[in-house]
Amino acid sequence: SVYSGAYAGAAVDPLWAFFSATAGQNGEVDAEELQRCLTQSGISGTYSPFSLETCRIMISMLDRQNTGKMGYNEFKELWTALSAWKHNFMLVDQDRSGTVEFHVLTQVIVAMGYRLSPQTLIAIVKRYSKNGRISFDDYVACCVKLRALTDFFRRRDSMQQGIVNLLYDDFLQCTMAI
Amino acid sequence: MAAYSYRPGPGAGPAGGAALPDQSFLWNVFQRVDKDRSGVISDNELQQALSNGTWTPFNPVTVRSIISMFDRENKAGVNFSEFTGVWKYITDWQNVFRTYDRDNSGMIDKNELKQALSGFGYRLSDQFHDILIRKFDRQGRGQIAFDDFIQGCIVLQRLTDIFRRYDTDQDGWIQVSYEQYLSMVFSIV
Repeated sequence: SVYSGAYAGAAVDPLWAFFSATAGQNGEVDAEELQRCLTQSGISGTYSPFSLETCRIMISMLDRQNTGKMGYNEFKELWTALSAWKHNFMLVDQDRSGTVEFHVLTQVIVAMGYRLSPQTLIAIVKRYSKNGRISFDDYVACCVKLRALTDFFRRRDSMQQGIVNLLYDDFLQCTMAI
Repeated sequence: MAAYSYRPGPGAGPAGGAALPDQSFLWNVFQRVDKDRSGVISDNELQQALSNGTWTPFNPVTVRSIISMFDRENKAGVNFSEFTGVWKYITDWQNVFRTYDRDNSGMIDKNELKQALSGFGYRLSDQFHDILIRKFDRQGRGQIAFDDFIQGCIVLQRLTDIFRRYDTDQDGWIQVSYEQYLSMVFSIV
């Protein structure tokens, strides 16, 4: 039938519906559009929608071509990451208050597979906590930064030694880009 | 010879900058800004008193950076004595901004930014300026307004300071482990 292709597409890729509704003709979203798209998708569930700044860094995390925008493949990758992060957060947010104590977050980060000393974990988590607690939006921002910085480090650590040499300008560019 | 050198921007060092006006002038300003007469200027009060030239609220992140720089008592605000430092800091930045906004557009474009940072003593790649503008420009016009310019320079200075702490032989390279890198960066960006 003349309609089967369109319906088959939607059934196979429901994310496309959310994305394309916002993405416009060039098939890319900027931070504001991503925020709209994620809010409409309801991925935050009962938690507050993501802030604009969090959406901005979500784009930077996957922006390998430095365009400042996110295409559909990147969006799918983001969606997978967001779903996992939300799942981990909900496991510890048992009263569904939308915030967790900051020391609980250090456990979540370890559970995600990061092997970091307690001091580093606390330094990371402190950056996002307000009065000892962390909101879902800030938690996601923390996960995004952690992943983006780790990806950057791994790309430079070609010998996989856990140590890199960084030139000043490179350090600035990559750290600031996140 | 260092591969890079820099002179800290306004407020970071004792060099030059605006002379302080007399205390009664500053006290009048303080009282006008301290709307609830609490004796402490909060983030909100400072934000309302500042203009970035775009008719949008002054960047709250910049406001937080400035207040935390001068708040010696961890009270999330500044008293009159601390405020004199804030006043000077902002006035110095206004002078810098005006100096480098050569076409008087009220925004600093990429070329003007290159000249400003080079004037501060930084030696940075062309590409870096694109990244700084992309990261800090909240107006979305590819140029940088006064409040975002300040925040960009503050972050640049902090990253440079922490890089230099690790660059013991001053050759422009550091060697860091994964944890060191995360600790360095998470406190700043």
